[in-house]
Amino acid sequence: MGTTESSIVDAARGRPGLLLVTLLGGLLLVDLAAKLAGVSVGPLGGSLSTGRLGSNLWNGLVIGLVIGLAGIGLSMTYSILSFANFSHGDLVSVGAFTGWGVAFLVAGFGDIPIRTLLSVRDAGSATSGDIGAHILATPGAVLLGLVTAFVVTALIALALDRAFYKPMRDRDGISILIASIGAALIVRYLLQFAYGSDRRGVTASVEASNLAFDPLGLSVNAHQLTIVVAALGLMVAMHFMLQRTKLGTAMRAMADNKDLALVTGIPAERVVTATWIIGGGLAGASGYLYVLLRGTIQFDFGWLLLLLIFAAVILGGIGSVYGAIAGGLVIGIVFTTSTIWIPSDFNEAAAFAVMILMLLLRPEGLFGGVSTA
Amino acid sequence: MSADEAVEESVEEPAAEATKAGTAHTVEGDAILRIRDLDAGYGDLQILTDVDLDVADGEYVTIVGPNGAGKSTVMKTVFGLTTYMDGSVEFEGNEIHGLAPEQIIREGIGFVPQTDNVFPGLSVRENLEMGAYILDSVPEDQIEEIFDRFPILRERQEQKAGTLSGGQRQMVAMGRALMLDPDLLLLDEPSAGLAPDLVSDMFDRIDRINDAGTAILMVEQNAKEALRRCDRGYVLVNGENRYTDHGEALLGDEDVRKDFLGG
Repeated sequence: MGTTESSIVDAARGRPGLLLVTLLGGLLLVDLAAKLAGVSVGPLGGSLSTGRLGSNLWNGLVIGLVIGLAGIGLSMTYSILSFANFSHGDLVSVGAFTGWGVAFLVAGFGDIPIRTLLSVRDAGSATSGDIGAHILATPGAVLLGLVTAFVVTALIALALDRAFYKPMRDRDGISILIASIGAALIVRYLLQFAYGSDRRGVTASVEASNLAFDPLGLSVNAHQLTIVVAALGLMVAMHFMLQRTKLGTAMRAMADNKDLALVTGIPAERVVTATWIIGGGLAGASGYLYVLLRGTIQFDFGWLLLLLIFAAVILGGIGSVYGAIAGGLVIGIVFTTSTIWIPSDFNEAAAFAVMILMLLLRPEGLFGGVSTA
Repeated sequence: MSADEAVEESVEEPAAEATKAGTAHTVEGDAILRIRDLDAGYGDLQILTDVDLDVADGEYVTIVGPNGAGKSTVMKTVFGLTTYMDGSVEFEGNEIHGLAPEQIIREGIGFVPQTDNVFPGLSVRENLEMGAYILDSVPEDQIEEIFDRFPILRERQEQKAGTLSGGQRQMVAMGRALMLDPDLLLLDEPSAGLAPDLVSDMFDRIDRINDAGTAILMVEQNAKEALRRCDRGYVLVNGENRYTDHGEALLGDEDVRKDFLGG
């Protein structure tokens, strides 16, 4: 006992920040328990239904999976190409627009002009309700859209690499980072040019799409379930690719040591190409799924999401694929549960506060030092 | 002089009377690696000037010399990792300068860099598999052969290479370079960073690799031990050839000993 206590005291002396954060976290938990029990003691407590907490956690999980999925590609390009890719957020938008264009085309083919459908625009009298894109009403269209989002975004990512990043392969990370901001702007305003700048509804609302889980008082809708299933499926596929295939092993090898990979005979450019295809594809898929969650789309939503994606990747330990997923979940859950204590206008601030705390207390991140593994 | 020192002296002085070390840098007949008048460096900085070097089939050749003499640069140039300026690098009759490392591996040369020579996040087995990346399928029999050569690696095959000791990592690095059964193995300071009692084990392993028919070109700080073991040695100074002879002859040469082997 004596040794345990003194080691705790030592740890507190050595890292007062950690102590403070632990105390604050404990306080929040006590407060949460008091709120759930409906007790209020001074400033603590209040009331909170388990249903609200449950749906906060569930929503956090769904958003977290989308952010984590997008973060995988960002972390991979960081570890294999050694630069922070600021055009990643706009790849997320590319996936959303191209994917939903095709989903609309399949769902609304016949009655509405093809151009309108492909541009994800409910022009004229047609509304998103008329097109009726919904996982329950038009599952084929929604799935085909997801595949399109992956494939087209992968190709765009590859094209950006060939046009901008490949010629700069030997430059330092800062130059390529600045180039990626330029690429981000080009992609964003091409999207605005092609699809317009207005924010619009995409998915139709379908009655009975809410599946209520009564014991928890939690309501789960079919689109959230689709996101969870699709995101987990892609993550598991990613895990097997990295751990069980020759290409995945080569990716981990390159992330470990590029020079050694070169003298080992690993064809670097082929691995880089695969990295863009997979990382870009996952970014596109996550953008497409994010629209399924929000129900609306606008040309710069990926850019706005990029900050949260960066927060997730840094929180998880930049360069680690598994860290990106874990970081995404933490950011997602903080994002939604923080509204228990603070107005929802500030929930992004809460997500970043958690990231900054992580950087202060554990700079290497959750999975720090473990590149892609 | 104590008895111990006397014994050591006699080991280090195989040729009783010191002879003049040779300066013929090429071998008669066929060499698998034939470097002629090589100029190379990094960017604009030239390190090597008119270097000649031969490795015959199955031969064990060591490059020694003071720090900054360009020993590692010779090796890296063979592997296409430096800036080539002039001269020729022929392997088995084909000019190989300008080839990508991947193609040089295909020609039959393996390379073990000095430091950071394993992938720490990959398992031992995955490290070996990466050595055969250019093959369509994993050569299981070759992995077995390497496990027979380094039995500890069979036990540790699922362990991450980053968790191994220095000596075991060096085995993984050599095993990886041997995956394609190269005709020539380039070793850059294999004893660097090893605990002293592991150094002679390491040299024994290199002897056995050479006995199995693989030619060795090695750069080594531990010059006395390296020269004692090798067939021939090159002494490089300021990026130029200085002496070339049988290892024992270089060890016995007064000038070589005084200038480069610390007396």
